[in-house]
Order: sequence, then structure tokens, then C-alpha cells
Amino acid sequence: MPTVTTVGAAPAAAPTPTLRQRLSRWDVRISPYLYISPFFILFALVGLFPLLYTFWVSLHQWNLIGGQGKFVGIGNYSYVLEQPQFWVGLRNTFSIFLLSGVAQTLGALALAAVLDQNIRAKTFWRMGVLLPYVVAPVAVGVIFSKMFADQSGLFNALLDKVGIGAIGWHADVLPSHIAIATMVNFRWTGYVTLIFLAAMQAIPREVYEAALMDGAGRVRQFFSVTIPMLRPTIIFVVITATIGGLQIFDEPRVFDQSGLGGSDRQWMTVTMYIYELGWGPQKNFGRAAAVSWVLFLIIILVGLINFMITRRIAASDAPKSPPPEAVATGTGANPDAAAAHRSTNGAATGDAPGPRHPEVTL
Amino acid sequence: MSSAPQVRRIGLRPRRKNLNGNRPGWVTYLILTVVLILSAYPLYYSFLLGSSDATTIARTPIPSLIPQGNFVENAARVMSSDIKFWTSVLNSVIVAVVTALSVVFFSTLAGYSFAKLSFRGRGPLLVFVVATMAVPTQLSIVPMFIVMAKLGWTGRLEAVIVPGMVTAFGVFWMTQYLESALPFELVEAARVDGCSMFRTFWHVALPAARPAAAMLGLFTFIGSWTSFFWPFIVLGSANPTLPVSIQLLQASYFKDYSLILAGVTMAALPLIVVFIIAGRQLVAGVMQGAVKG
Amino acid sequence: MRTRITTTAALVTAFGLGLAGCSSSGQEGDGSGKVTLTLATFNEFGYEDLIKEYMAAHPNVTIEHKKAATSNEARDNMNTRLAAGSGLSDIEAIEVDWLPELRQYPDRFVDLKSDSVKDRWLPWKVKQATTDDGKLIGYGTDIGPEAICYRADLFKAAGLPSDRDQVATFLGSTWEDYFAAGKKFQAKSKVPWMESAGSIFNAMVNQVPNAYEDNDGKVIATENPQVRQMYDTVLQASKDGLSAGLAQWSTDWTSSFQRNGFATMVCPAWMLGVIEGNGANVKGWDVANTFPGGGGNWGGSFLTVPAQSKHPNEAKALADWLTAPEQQVKAFQAKGTFPSQEAALKSPELLAATRPYFNDAPTGKILAERAKAVTVVPFKGPKYSGINDAMQQALGRVDVTKTDSAAASWDKFVTAVKALG
Repeated sequence: MPTVTTVGAAPAAAPTPTLRQRLSRWDVRISPYLYISPFFILFALVGLFPLLYTFWVSLHQWNLIGGQGKFVGIGNYSYVLEQPQFWVGLRNTFSIFLLSGVAQTLGALALAAVLDQNIRAKTFWRMGVLLPYVVAPVAVGVIFSKMFADQSGLFNALLDKVGIGAIGWHADVLPSHIAIATMVNFRWTGYVTLIFLAAMQAIPREVYEAALMDGAGRVRQFFSVTIPMLRPTIIFVVITATIGGLQIFDEPRVFDQSGLGGSDRQWMTVTMYIYELGWGPQKNFGRAAAVSWVLFLIIILVGLINFMITRRIAASDAPKSPPPEAVATGTGANPDAAAAHRSTNGAATGDAPGPRHPEVTL
Repeated sequence: MSSAPQVRRIGLRPRRKNLNGNRPGWVTYLILTVVLILSAYPLYYSFLLGSSDATTIARTPIPSLIPQGNFVENAARVMSSDIKFWTSVLNSVIVAVVTALSVVFFSTLAGYSFAKLSFRGRGPLLVFVVATMAVPTQLSIVPMFIVMAKLGWTGRLEAVIVPGMVTAFGVFWMTQYLESALPFELVEAARVDGCSMFRTFWHVALPAARPAAAMLGLFTFIGSWTSFFWPFIVLGSANPTLPVSIQLLQASYFKDYSLILAGVTMAALPLIVVFIIAGRQLVAGVMQGAVKG
Repeated sequence: MRTRITTTAALVTAFGLGLAGCSSSGQEGDGSGKVTLTLATFNEFGYEDLIKEYMAAHPNVTIEHKKAATSNEARDNMNTRLAAGSGLSDIEAIEVDWLPELRQYPDRFVDLKSDSVKDRWLPWKVKQATTDDGKLIGYGTDIGPEAICYRADLFKAAGLPSDRDQVATFLGSTWEDYFAAGKKFQAKSKVPWMESAGSIFNAMVNQVPNAYEDNDGKVIATENPQVRQMYDTVLQASKDGLSAGLAQWSTDWTSSFQRNGFATMVCPAWMLGVIEGNGANVKGWDVANTFPGGGGNWGGSFLTVPAQSKHPNEAKALADWLTAPEQQVKAFQAKGTFPSQEAALKSPELLAATRPYFNDAPTGKILAERAKAVTVVPFKGPKYSGINDAMQQALGRVDVTKTDSAAASWDKFVTAVKALG
């Protein structure tokens, strides 16, 4: 057990700090910055540099192969905002995002609640829900193509038998969004479920016991105990789901063989539009960069909105920093994990694993 | 250390009935079974097609539920084809393990700081971390590649490992978890006992974070294992990871899905193993309940 | 115990990072005359045995063969590395469709002109890889001469000739003949005549010298009457019921081979393997030695030497050898890539090649003749593929998804072409 000792000089009166004390104080002051620095250092390399580079590119005429052209200022931005395709992409992105995000969050909450019980073979069931996440996008693409094919697909065959008739999954806008949302939900619901489950496991049983003694049934417990205690996690999920959901790329890209989002751009998302501008026939890196920045700002904005909406869902407002007493007594007021949410000009992470991180899969 | 006895108090939660007095009923198990079937189907499907052959696959849009039995043969073809299978397995293992360990460590370190330590700029910095997730990454491929080229890392595993060593998601996740799972008084107790900052972290924060860390490690491992595009761009087929080399099975104008999906199934098997290992961690109790009890 | 686990974890991480250093791809030789050349290809070029042969004959040369699964992946890879200025292989295989772009940056590629390759290839193949100032940036590998593949059994069931020489006559030599034959077929059969309007348009537009752009690169697609005429013709054929409305490479298209999806298709050399794979166990495919409009080519690849290469001379020598007629014939025998070299087209191995799946059709001979029949090299400027994509989407909206009328879809096409500017 380390004890406070003096080093070097003869023991002095209390006011003069010993070397050890000074070291300790430095330890306290510097350590936090030291501990968070790995992230920021790495981020400077793989996030900040690409971000600034992208901004620089967006201000120029820039061909992917040809390189830097002349300075055009906001020319790329105004071009992009005038393109109907950009707005179609935005529409599709939001539509798919809502269809998938809401379904996933609610479904995952319900599923986590089911899994939170004292079931046999816990590991088996809990890991089971994560299985879709494990399967390579190639396989998922093949399976869902075969299921959603317009003429030779499983779903349309079934619909025909039942008498409803085939749906144009690759022809009409909303069906294509539903199909893609299904693919996304399939892959990610288990993931979100486990996140909620981990948080649910952290809720002390005593709180449930107290509620039970107050006469609350299971459903009431869920809404009055579980959800409020889960608020930070729900916020976390909503924010990460928003950020990831607005960048959906892989699933719509493999939905058909051309990867362009349908002959009428029925399901082209904004990230697909970026990729098409930059790597497609145009190879217009400058325009692609402009769309990237616009999307970035939109994500920040929508993230903020979602955060504020989700905050209201649970009961009380909580102070930002955790006062020790509140945490120690384990009462319901959990501090907000995400602290104050002010917008910043943030930046990109590298190609790191995370939720819906847009792996540019082909 | 004085915190040790407290830590030891945490054990597995005793198996007992639900709070509401009854075991989970058949409805619960029914729901779980349906979910499991839906979840497992894609993997099973890829196994089915991987046990079949190109002819049958072309003929029957919906595979029968019974595997055809060619799996071993197809697996052998995968391993003997020109795709550097074993190299890529080794590469994937190295990349995924190192990335997962590194992400867990650095994220917990940063998360602990954001959650429990007070320092100037804490709030805005955390927001900054979250905001960094917001930028579409398609375009960063080119600048990242330039960086890797300048460092001389193209074709080397560093190019894939280093960009992923700590993630905003990981930091955000551990911050959020530690805020509620690690009581401030435990930290205080350790500090009062004279622990340095790092020892406090090591002996108090890390154990508290275990379930979330296991989860993060699992997610990171899987994400790293299945990631395709960046390894493809920066490593290529000379030094591939598993998804890159499996993708090579698609080479040629006609795609033999029995071969491709046999490869996909084989690529998923190590993940199942990781599941089982990490799963135990996730089930093994939570500190919170013990402390508050 | 915890310490032990964490110590192990730390060791693993350190070990892993160390191993990461070891697992890197091999680097350059040590300058003692040994050279390592990197060769990047995609799909199947059939070079595996040839590489071994070359290394055996040149002990100071080691060749690393990097493969991408699809040409799209290879293209993205190449574009990224061109943009970054480094990372390309010593020899990069490219597809003919990439050339309109790449020819704008001739300084990125080594000039491969040399006496040893004079008159090696079909003239139109050489032209595709020659820049405006006469630089040759690619050595031709394979080509995709088109014939017509057809279902002899379905023809027979419709009371039409099914022997391939008779079918060649029946199909005629112009597109009008082709569509007329189609109408005759549809009168007696429920099976659609062709896959889609888009696939026929694709074949047609490759026979027009200046469809979308004039020789200065100016975009004329939306005003060129030829384009509008081809557009209307194929959509009319679709309206007449000749089209199966299947977008090529889609899931429906792939499944359709097993379900009598269509009776004829435009057949470049590399499509034979696709039909055989998708149509496994389907009997009745055959190849007719004709092509509406005379001759057509779809696809084909080249080997280039990027200027980034540190060993341009050795790379050039290797590319020269790989694309020599003898080697290409061997590649053809290995993977079916159809040679573009004049001498190869006369080789006995090629001319004797048959394919059992296609009723033992003499595919080597047929495709060699089709290759010679190609007269037009369409001008493809930098905007060509963007405009072509827009056209394919326009046709798809009418023929495949049936969401637009022909007129409305054309208007969208015009807008899309403007947006490319």
C-alpha cells in the first residue's frame, strides 16, 4: 500500500508540497487528458486530416484521377443543392432511416426485455440474436436478393399464392424502402438488443422489488422502471442509430446489380450518391466532397433533434455531472450520458468497427 | 487494496425465479425460438448453399432444408483455390484480436475519464467525440490511402489495425456505461487509499466495466472480422484478410455460389467460437447490483 | 489472476503488432539484379500457369499476382491509387470501358509502343488503347466478339429452323431482320424473344461511330437522331412483346435461365461461360454465326504499365510476353478468354475449339469470324459511360420496371445527361 513519504529534502512544514504530493497533483491534472489522448491522436490522423482534406476538395473542381482543378468556392455546393437527384437521395435516406431505425429500437427494447428474464441457457439465446451480424454482406445480399426478386422471388411467390399479387420491390419506391429496411433491421436488431440488454442488466433488482411491492405489474414495471432507468442507453442508441442510419450504404448498394439505387433512383441514398459522384462516371471528387459535408451537417442537426426528443421521453431532468449522492442511493435519476449536446464541427473516424459504420462493400 | 473486498463481493446472481414469482413461460420461449430461427436462417442458408452445387442452386430458388452433403468437398475447394485462405485467416485473427483488445482498452480508458474524472473541457470534448461519428467516410478513403502510402504501410496489416485502434463508438459506449455502472464513491475510496490515477483505473474501473467491455470487444471483433472495403483497398489480394480473399471466390463472370457461400460459412465459424467465449463474460454478473445491495 | 489475464492481453497485443510487421507483403528485391514484379488482374485472365512458366524462364524475376474478384472492384482500387499517386502494380489490367477516362491522362502510363508488337492485334483493338497523340498505353488481351446464342429446342418447338447455319440465315444480317424473326417466333411461342430492350440497345450502340459524342468530345446524345431512333426501336420491340424485361445480371435474369426466360441473346465470347453456369442442365443452347449489323464487340481487356512502376522495362517485357499470341491461346485454353491477336485467331487450337454445352458448336471458329467482322470502333469520350448508364436506366424504367412511358423516360434521360455536364 503506497503511503505518503517525503523524498529528498528534510521534512518541511505542511504548506510546502513534497515531491510526491506534487507528482500526485500532476497525476490528477494530466491523467484525464492523457487517457483521452489516444483517441484524439488517432482521430487527428484518420479523422481530422480526411475531413479537412475533403473540405479543401469540396472547394475546387477536382477529378478523382486528374487531381486538383481550379478553385470554385461554393460552386460545388450550389450545384449539388440544385440537383433533383440529391433531394431524391435525401428523401430515400430519411424514409429508409425511419423505417429501419424506429423498428429496430422498439423491437430491440422488447426483445431485450424478453431476454432480461431468468431464462435457461441464457448465453445461447442471447448470442443467438446476434447471429445475423456475423454473416458476411455477400451472403446477406444473395439471400435477400432471392427473397425480394420481383419475378422469381420468395415473397412474391407467397403473395401470389395468397392472392395479394406480386409487389414491385425493385420498381416502386416504398416497397423498395421496406425491403431495404428489412435487410438493415435483420442485420442490426440483434446488435441493438444486446446493447439494451447490457444496460437492463445493470438496473438493480431492488428497484424492481420496490415497484413490485408498490403493486406494479410486469408491464407497468417495464414502462415506469426499465425505460426511465434506460434513458441514457436509449439516448445513446438513438444518437448512434441516427448517425449510422443516415449513412446507410451497404444494404441499398447490394439491392440490385448496378448499385445505383434503381433505374429511377427509387432507393438511392445520399451516401450512394456521394460514391456515384466520386467513383462513378463523373469522377467528380469536388461535388462528392460537397455532398459529404452537407450530409455531415444534416446528421449533426438531426442528431440534435433526436437527442432532444428522446430526452423528453423519460421522466425527470437530471443534472449533468453525477453528484455522488444520487448515484450512491441508486435512485432513478440517472445523469445524462451524452452531457450537453452542442453542435461542433466534428470529423470522421477511420474505418473502425462501429454501428452501421458505412463499410463500402461492393 | 481496500476496494478488493468490495470487488470480491460480486458474484453470479443466484438463479431464482422472476421477481414476479414465476418462471418465464412458454410464450417467452416461443418468441425466443422464432427470433432465433429468423436470426440463424442466413447462416444456415449459406451453409445449405455451400453444401450444394452450382447446378442445383441454379435450378431451385428455395433450397430444401436438408443440406446436400457437399460441404466438405466445397470447403476443400475453397482452401485449395488460389485465394491464400490460410494467410487470410491468420491475418484476420491478428487484426481482429489486436483491434478488439486495443479498442476495449483505449475506449475504457477514455470512457472512464469522461465519466468519472473532472477536467476542463470535458463536456465539449465528449460532444466532439460523438460528432466525429457523423461524417460520411466514403471520401476519407482517398486521404487515408495517401496517409498510408506516405507511411509505407500499404499492404501491411498496420494500415488496417491502426485506424481502428480506438473508436468514437467505443469511447461513447464506455462513457455511457461507466457513468451509471461505476459509483463515484468506489473511485473516491481508491483515491483516498492512495492509488495513483492509473492504478485506480486498472483496479476499479476495468473490473466494473467488464460486461460492457466484453460486449464492446465482441462487437469490435466481429466488425473487424467482417470488414471488407478498406482492407481490400489498402491490403489487396497480396496480403488479404478473410473477407477479401472470400470475395475472390467470385472471380469470373459466372459465380459459383456453392463455392462462394461455402467460403462465407467457413469465414463465420471462428466468430461462433468467439461468441461462446465472450458470451460467458456477458452472462457473468454485474457489479452494480452487488454494490447497491 | 486478473493481472495474469491482462498481462496476457498486453502481450498478445504487442505480439500481434509485431506479427503485423512480419505479415506484410514481400517488398522489392535487394538490387542484385533480382526484380519483383506485381501484376494486378480481375475475373479470370488465365495467367496462372503462364506466370510460372515465365518465372522458370527468367530466374531473376519474381511475379506477384494480385487478383480482384470483379472488374468494378479492380477499377475502384485502381482509381483510388491513381488519385493517391502510389500503390499501383507494375502491370495493371484494365477493361476497355475504362479507357475513355484513362486516355485523358496518358502521362500516368508508360508508352508501350515497340517493334515486337507491331501488327500483333486486330486493328480496332489497337485503336482503343491508342491516345490522340499516338501513344500506346495498353497491350490487348482478350476481346468479346458477339454472335447470337439461341435456344434450338424452343425454335424447333415453334416450327422454326434450329440448325445453326439455317438459324444464321433466319436471323438475317440487320436488326430489322432480327426483330422480324422475333415476331415470327412469338407467333408460335410464349417464350420472350430477347432479354430486355437494354441489352439489345447495348449491342446496337456499339456499332455506331459517334452515338453520344462527336469526335471533339462534345455531347450530342440528346440531339442525335440515331440515338433516339435506336431508343424507339428497342422500346417498340418491347411493346410488341418481344422482351422478357429482365435486367442483365439481376437475380431474376439469373433465375430465368432455368425457367425458359428468353430464346435468344447477344453473345460475346465471355458470355458462353455465364450461360453454361446459369443454365446448368438446360439443354438446347446453340450458337449462330451471325450478328445483326455485321459485327460487334463487347468488352475486352488490356495490360497497362503505370508510370508509377519502378520497373517499367521489365514490366513492359512481361506484358509483351503475356499478350503474345502463343500465350493468349494458352490462356484461352485455360479460362476461355478470347484472343485479340491476329495470329492467335488463326491458330489451329483456337479454330478447333468446340463447346459441348452448346451442341458442340465450333465456338472458336465462329467467334474468330465474328471478330473479323467488326468494322466500327465507337468513339468513346470521357462522358460516354455516364451517358450510357443514363440510357440504360431510361430503358429500364420503361421495359423492366414499367414505371414510365417511353416519352417521359426520355425526358428524364435528357435531364440526367445535362446533369453530367
